[in-house]
Amino acid sequence: MIGQYLLAALAGSAITALLALALHKLHHGKVVARIRSEADARAESHSQIATRHSELAVQAEQANLALESLVSQLREELAQQSKIADENRALLAATVEDKNQWAEQAKRIASEASRLKSLAGTFERWHEQMISLMAQNQDMHAKNQELSSIVKHVVIVSLNASIEAARAGAAGRGFAVVAGEVRALAARSEELSKSYRDSLHRNDITTAATFQDIQAGGKMITASLGSVELLAGQFKSRLH
Amino acid sequence: MVTGHAKDSFEGIFKKAVRSRISKQSDDTCEIELLPPSAINATTEEHAVILTVSSIVFRLLLVFHFNEDESTREYFVNEGSEASLQEVLLEVFNLTCGALNQELLQYFPDLGMSTPYVLSARCLPHLLGLKPDVLSSYAITINGHVRLGATLCVCAHAPVDFIADLSAVEESSGELELF
Repeated sequence: MIGQYLLAALAGSAITALLALALHKLHHGKVVARIRSEADARAESHSQIATRHSELAVQAEQANLALESLVSQLREELAQQSKIADENRALLAATVEDKNQWAEQAKRIASEASRLKSLAGTFERWHEQMISLMAQNQDMHAKNQELSSIVKHVVIVSLNASIEAARAGAAGRGFAVVAGEVRALAARSEELSKSYRDSLHRNDITTAATFQDIQAGGKMITASLGSVELLAGQFKSRLH
Repeated sequence: MVTGHAKDSFEGIFKKAVRSRISKQSDDTCEIELLPPSAINATTEEHAVILTVSSIVFRLLLVFHFNEDESTREYFVNEGSEASLQEVLLEVFNLTCGALNQELLQYFPDLGMSTPYVLSARCLPHLLGLKPDVLSSYAITINGHVRLGATLCVCAHAPVDFIADLSAVEESSGELELF
């Protein structure tokens, strides 16, 4: 009996153990399945992360390359800009030098124009010569006037001589011829005196017109030089 | 070498200058009559005052002729003044030529003017010897009884052509031309 009981108990135990084992295996299977599933999910996740990492690495590499290219380009541009800056600096220095030279030239032009304005004195000196020439002309006018008076007197004398010769009759014929000759000479002298007077008047107007032209021309040149001096001064002021 | 427009302009500027400077008072009448070309050989005046305005292309001779008669003296010489008629007239003619010069400066930037000089009016016919392009003689009568003469003579060295704008209001005073 006891054996049966023991057998039954053993059998029961065995069955229980089998049930427990079965349950354990079932539970283990579930756990394993769950763990495998989780492992698969993690593996999948790891795979995705690895892929992402790989992509990121490629992107990073590309970005790195682009960055290097940009740096290189910037370096080239910097070098070029530096070169341009150097050139501009040289150009500016040359321009400043040119400007200084222009200012110097403008100063010289203004100074030269100012100096040449003293030419006015030369023109005035020439004009003063006109006064001297005209004084001589006046003297010749006076002498010619005197000559004209003498000639007129000779004409009267010769006329009187002719009258006296006529009164003397035949004895005065020779004298009448001489008186006639004297009158003819006086008439020629009178013509010559008139012609000489005309020449002097022509000489007066020609001399006055010529010397006034010189004087006025001198003032014109002086005024023009004044304008040049002013413009050169203004140009010089603008350069500074 | 002086075009018709330029001749008219020179004559117009001359008349404007005479009207603005010869008369002593603004309400004095000033008649300017153009004389025939032959008049230059028959001037009745005794004295002449010559002035020159020079430019690069022409020279203009302005000759005023006058007699030292009583009416001229009474009009131009102020009572009590010690200046002679000739001195006063030299100043008046110089101012007149200065006004003409100022007007011409609008058209010819380079101009110079001479000082006046007194000659005998018998010199006037010899202006023809300068071979002028313009030679015009005028009789100037102020207040109907003061008589002067003037001759405008332009000798050009190159073609001269311009049209003067004479419509501008005449200035009451001008730049003083010293001599």
